[in-house]
Amino acid sequence: MTELDRLAMYRQMVRIRQYEARIMQEYHADKSPAWDIGAGLIPGEMHLSAGQEPAAVGVCAHLKKGDAITAPHRPHHFALAHGVDMNKMTAEIYGRETGLCRGKGGHMHLFDPDNHFSCSGIIAQGLPVACGQALAFQRKGTDNVAVAVAGEGAANQGAFHESLNLAAVWNLPVIFVIEDNDWAISVPRSASTAGVSNADRASGYGIPGVRVEDNDVEAMFEAAGAAIDRARAGEGPSLIEIHTLRLWGHFEGDAQAYRSELETVNERDPIPKYAASLQELGDLTDDQIADIQAEADAEVDAAIEFAKSSPEPTAEDALLHVFA
Amino acid sequence: MSKVATVGVIANPASSRDVRRIVARGPATTANDKINMLVRLMEGLGGAGVNTVISMSDAGGIAAGLAGLSTRKSASNWPVLHFVDQEITHTPTDTVTAVEHMAERGVDAIVVLGGDGTNRLLIGKSGDIPVASISSGTNNAFPSRHEPTVVGLAVGFLATGRVDRQRCSYRAKTLQVSDGSTSTKALVDMAILDGDRIATGAIWDVTSLREVFLCFAEPHAIGLSSLGGRLRPVCRRDPHGLRITVDERSNHRVLAPIAPGLVRDIGVAHVDVMSAGNAVEVDVSSGVIALDGERAHRFPERRSVTVSLDLDGPIVLDVQRAMQLAAEGQQVEEHNARPHTTDPSQTHPTNHEGESND
Repeated sequence: MTELDRLAMYRQMVRIRQYEARIMQEYHADKSPAWDIGAGLIPGEMHLSAGQEPAAVGVCAHLKKGDAITAPHRPHHFALAHGVDMNKMTAEIYGRETGLCRGKGGHMHLFDPDNHFSCSGIIAQGLPVACGQALAFQRKGTDNVAVAVAGEGAANQGAFHESLNLAAVWNLPVIFVIEDNDWAISVPRSASTAGVSNADRASGYGIPGVRVEDNDVEAMFEAAGAAIDRARAGEGPSLIEIHTLRLWGHFEGDAQAYRSELETVNERDPIPKYAASLQELGDLTDDQIADIQAEADAEVDAAIEFAKSSPEPTAEDALLHVFA
Repeated sequence: MSKVATVGVIANPASSRDVRRIVARGPATTANDKINMLVRLMEGLGGAGVNTVISMSDAGGIAAGLAGLSTRKSASNWPVLHFVDQEITHTPTDTVTAVEHMAERGVDAIVVLGGDGTNRLLIGKSGDIPVASISSGTNNAFPSRHEPTVVGLAVGFLATGRVDRQRCSYRAKTLQVSDGSTSTKALVDMAILDGDRIATGAIWDVTSLREVFLCFAEPHAIGLSSLGGRLRPVCRRDPHGLRITVDERSNHRVLAPIAPGLVRDIGVAHVDVMSAGNAVEVDVSSGVIALDGERAHRFPERRSVTVSLDLDGPIVLDVQRAMQLAAEGQQVEEHNARPHTTDPSQTHPTNHEGESND
C-alpha cells in the first residue's frame, strides 16, 4: 500500500477547500440578479465539495498515472486531488477558451483525457463509464484501476446496480466510491432508500462493501488503499461508502431550509479536526498551518486570475468540436 | 403467574462493514439481515411473554425498519415496542446512551446485536442487568452464535422469572488499561501494536503486534483471542487470563485465524497467565493500543501503562443453560412420552457456554 503522508493529505485538503471557498466568493460576486444562474462571470449552477475532501484525498493518494476517475456533478475535490490542472479547470468553470473543454463544458463537465478524469451532471452516469475504462485496462493487461464516484442518492439509479453487476461478472478493476453526505439535494436517505448502506448493497453482488464512518481521511486512505491494491492484483471490484459531510448547500444559492442538522455542521468540518490530530502527533506546527494556507491562497488566486484574463470563446467557436 | 417483563435491545447499525471485507474475507451482515434478526428475536421474546421492548434508536435504518414491521399483523405476538428518545451521533455514544436509558428504566435484560466492540460499550453501564449477545459483527469472540428466536425465548424466560438468573448467568471478565490519568477497558482482548495509525481500526497486519492480553481464549475463536486459543485455552469463567508476547523472530510459531479468511503464522516469545486482580506494567513506546480487535488509542511518546484483569464485566446470560433450565421446568405427562422421546427434559445435560472448550 502507498506510504501514508499525513502532511501531503492535509495540504491537499486545504488546497481543495481554499479553491471551493474562492469559487463560492467569485460565483456570487457579480451574480445579479442573485437568482439568475446565467448571470455573472461564472455561469450555470455550482456544486461545491467543501466537507467532502477526505473522500477525494484518501482515494487519490493511491492513484498513479493512467488510473481513471469518473466524478459526479460535485467534482472539484476529485479533479484537484487527481492532478487536473487548476488553471485549465478554473478557466473551464469561467467558460474561457483556455479551459479543459475550451469553455464549453463548465463546472459539471470537466474532461481531462491526460489524467483520465471526467465528470457529468447526469446522476450515476460515471459508473458505467468507469466499468468501460476498467475493462480497457483489464484487456490491455495493465494494472491501472478506474474509480467511479457517486453520491448516496445516485445509488438508487439503475446505472449503479447495472455497473456493480457488470463489474462483478467481469471481475473488473474498478472501485466504486459512494459519498454519503446524508442529502440527495434535499431528500434524506431514509425517505428514498431501502437498505441504508450501499456497502450492504455491494454484498448482494458478491463485491466487498466497506463503510467508512466519521469522514475520516486516514480511514478512507486505508480502505481505498486496500481496495485499489486488490483491484490492481486482479482480485476485482470493491465498494467503499464514506459517511461524509456536505458543509454547504447542494448548489450555491441553496437556503437549506430542509436541513435540520445545519446548526452543528461547522463543528463537523473534517479539516480543523485533522489539523488537531496532526498537531497532537507532532506532525504539524502552527507555522506550517499558516504556510500551507498561504501556498493554497496563492495557487488558487493565480488560477482565478488565469481564468479571468483568458479570452472568451468567439461565436464561431460554437461550430467547432461538434459531432452533428 | 409470570411477572411483567421489559427487555432492552441494542443493534449496532455500523457493525460488520469495516475494511476487513476487503483485507480479509469478513462476512457482510446487512441492515436487512439485522432487522430480520430482530424480528426473530421479537418473536421469541413475545412467545416467552415479555410485555415491553425498549430499543435503541439509530440513523442506520435498523430502528426504522423494526418500527415499520411492528405495525403489521405478522407482529401481533410481539411485545409492545418503544424506542429510546435519544440524539443520534453516529458514534458508539449512541449505544452507551441507550444502555444508560435502559438501566434507568430498570429493564430485566438487554439483548445486544453486534460484535465484540459493541458489547464492550456495556462495561460499567449495564450493571447487574443480564446481557444476551447475538453475533452481527466480524470477529465475534464474545457474542453467541445462537439463533435469535431462541435467544428471545431464553431472555424471555429469564425476564419473566421462569428461570433462575443465578443459575444461567455469569459475570464477564474485563481487561483494564490505565496510564495513570485515563483508563479504558476491553471485554475480550487488548493488544499493543507498533505504529501510530488508528484509521479504520481493524487489525490484519500481525507484523505490528507486540503484546496481546486476553480475558479468555477459546480454541474455536476467531480474532486475536484465537492466538491464545491455539496456545493455551482459557475459559470465560476461569479466574485468569493470558498475556502473550509476540516476536516475529521467535522460532515458536503459532497458526492463528486472526480474522475471517485470514490465517497467520505468528512468532510467540512468551505466554503468561494473568490472575484476576493482579496488575502488569507494560512499556508502550510510541505505539497503538487496540481494544477488542480495534485500534483505539495511540501513544506518540514512550510511556508505561498498567494492564489488569478484573471480574467486573457485564452479567452474561448463558442461553444454552437458560433453555436447559426452562426445559427442566416443563411439565410433560410421562405417559405421552415414548422410550425414544426427544422431550427436552430427557436429554442429557450438555456443556454450557464458558464451562467447556468444546
